[in-house]
Amino acid sequence: MARRRRFSPPQRSTTFALNITSMTDMFTILLVFLLQSYSTAEIEVNPEKGQALPLSASEANPIMSLQVSVTRSELKVQDRTIASLQNDDFTKSDVDSNDTNFLPGFFKELEQIAKDEKAKEEQFNAGTTTVRPNQAILDGKILVKADENLNYSVLRKVMYTASMAGFPKMKMATVVGK
Amino acid sequence: MGRRGYRPIAKMPFEFELDLAPLLSVMMKLVPVMLISTAFVQVMMIESDLPQAVKEAIQKQEEKPVAVVMMTPSMKDGIKITVQKNGQQQVKMVAMVDGQFDFPTLHKTLQAVKKENPEVFRIELTPDGNVPYREVVRMMDEARRSRDKEVRFPVFDAKENKTVQTEYMFPDVVFSNVFDG
Repeated sequence: MARRRRFSPPQRSTTFALNITSMTDMFTILLVFLLQSYSTAEIEVNPEKGQALPLSASEANPIMSLQVSVTRSELKVQDRTIASLQNDDFTKSDVDSNDTNFLPGFFKELEQIAKDEKAKEEQFNAGTTTVRPNQAILDGKILVKADENLNYSVLRKVMYTASMAGFPKMKMATVVGK
Repeated sequence: MGRRGYRPIAKMPFEFELDLAPLLSVMMKLVPVMLISTAFVQVMMIESDLPQAVKEAIQKQEEKPVAVVMMTPSMKDGIKITVQKNGQQQVKMVAMVDGQFDFPTLHKTLQAVKKENPEVFRIELTPDGNVPYREVVRMMDEARRSRDKEVRFPVFDAKENKTVQTEYMFPDVVFSNVFDG
């Protein structure tokens, strides 16, 4: 009687071709979406945490300027907290007692920034440093990122103090809307 | 000697598979780069990049103002639009609708004001302290340019020496009550 043959599994190819067509489709869609939302702005402006910027039809890219942020709880110059807000208004300690539109702390900070930048410019012109001064600050340009829920009176205090400190060229940051 | 007939060298397959692997590897590199540099919240800035003719008209107006247009929003009465020209004052009111500012009517009123005063490009905005900032921005949007493509305003282009049409109404918005007590 013939001996039973041993079981041998069917021979499979060790290589196989992965179908990547659908993956390529997905990546193409993703790439188109990313290209659409790609920003070519001179500077990157990010809203603060929990801050809602107002919607606007304006499509002008932000330009190099000193960034001031006003949220419902604080006023920041670049990343430094300068004043605080309570019930959507500046706290009494942050407002001048004789002039209710004047914010002394904010004024001092802006004045110091302007002074530092002027000193940098003098040093650069004298050739003692290679660090260029920020021309936008020297020109008095300021970009205000303010929460849309704040009242105009809060913005007015910021504009008033900034103008007094030598930053009269004010721009408002908005989010692309209708 | 018999002539040999044409015979194709090799039979081409009717279907072939495109090698997508190199394309995919390029995309795999591009997508992370784009993800890092993409701004998902597009922050813009309120500033109109104006045509040369409009810029010149604004400069001319600064040198020799012909009329003053003022917009005074109030949460109580609505929006008051005042036009001062040749010593005369004209006031138009845009009333609140259900406790909200009536932006479509405001836009139409501003279009009418602009039609009457095409040489004016500046508007003085004097909101009350309790007007929300988002409403102020919206008012600026309504005043800056005409949304209606049919409605255009004449502006004299000195370079071309002819009158051209522009969509800009009051692109130069000034907060004139910042220094008021």
